[in-house]
Amino acid sequence: MIEINNVSMSYGKIRSLENVNAVVKDGSIFGLIGSNGSGKSTMLRILCGIIRPDSGTVTYDSLPVWENELVKQDIVYLSDEQYFMPHCTINDMRKLYKTVYTSFSDETFGKLKNIFTLDCDRKINTFSKGMKKQASVMLGISARPKYLLCDETFDGLDPVVRQLVKRILAEESAEGGMTTIIASHNLREMEDICDTVGLLHKGELLFVRELDDMKSGLHKVQAIFEGEFDAGMLTPMKILGFSRRGSLVSFIARGTVDEINAQMIAKNPTFYETVPLTLEEIFICEMEEKGYDFSKLDY
Amino acid sequence: MGVINVDTRDRKPIYEQLIDNIKSLVLHGILKPGEQLPGVRTLAVELAINPNTIQKSYAELERQGIIYTLQGRGSFVSDNVGELSRLQREKSLAQLQLSLEAARDAGVGKNGILELIDKVWR
Repeated sequence: MIEINNVSMSYGKIRSLENVNAVVKDGSIFGLIGSNGSGKSTMLRILCGIIRPDSGTVTYDSLPVWENELVKQDIVYLSDEQYFMPHCTINDMRKLYKTVYTSFSDETFGKLKNIFTLDCDRKINTFSKGMKKQASVMLGISARPKYLLCDETFDGLDPVVRQLVKRILAEESAEGGMTTIIASHNLREMEDICDTVGLLHKGELLFVRELDDMKSGLHKVQAIFEGEFDAGMLTPMKILGFSRRGSLVSFIARGTVDEINAQMIAKNPTFYETVPLTLEEIFICEMEEKGYDFSKLDY
Repeated sequence: MGVINVDTRDRKPIYEQLIDNIKSLVLHGILKPGEQLPGVRTLAVELAINPNTIQKSYAELERQGIIYTLQGRGSFVSDNVGELSRLQREKSLAQLQLSLEAARDAGVGKNGILELIDKVWR
């Protein structure tokens, strides 16, 4: 279990992280979502003990990560910009990894080598950006870490390889195996593979939720009522966003489909439908509830 | 077992999609009572989705009595699918009633509906 307690971090005058608190359960695939400059990479670097936060702690099974080789032994960090030793081949890197990670598995490496079809004796600096990413995933997974920290790992991978990497993550996380944190600005990329997501915005972690709960707890309703519509008619439903176009009323309500449908039937509308929200819509909705206004973005 | 599917572009949560999908496979007799479901790990890898999501769907299906799990052996379709089809029949009849009422209100006559019934049961 990874625990992040009150982590704050500044680079000079720039506040990068503000009092971040989160718990990541074992075997979970946690999506750390945020726009550019929201603090994702800083959070990951703190998580793997490369930088030390101004205040707060990160612990793995209650052991602090900072200056702790024992903990780091179990962590693989796939940074956004991979670093390989100059003139190294994947096989050279494998030897290096084996000196650092005692759990490194040649068997896993062999399997991945067949899947990724990269030439392991070619110099990595002759690889394309996407191939370098693949190489880092290959080496990282072969180290058989308990914790995998990925920074925009899907970025720059082609769709086939992306799906492949997701499959590998699914396999490794099954039955509480590996715990993964993936930082990304791409919500759609996270929807299928993550079970939990946290939204980082301007250095603050606005919320952490299980994805399925999030999706089943908010719905968009479109309805037409006979006669004059009055917003009071919707009580006691928990309404978030509300808009009207002619006689069509649309709003976002909290609750499961069944709860909302039961309430809607009681109001006897001429027509209504309830649809789940996309993850994007949920995020916007939750952020608006926290006081962030997106209407300013219309131009 | 390529029949269990999810659509990541669908608005419905993946775990609900899985539940509905497996239920419909059971109702259609494609998954038979006593038949083993793919393991959580296998299905997660095949569909490239989170294993915890699959675990959750299986747990819910088990709670509803549609499948059962034997420790260390996997999950199986339960013999009790009669109950599921009864519920499903009730639900579809209720839906049909709503549709019929809507059709009546839209001015569709009884004969039109009867023709439709003949067409479906032809």
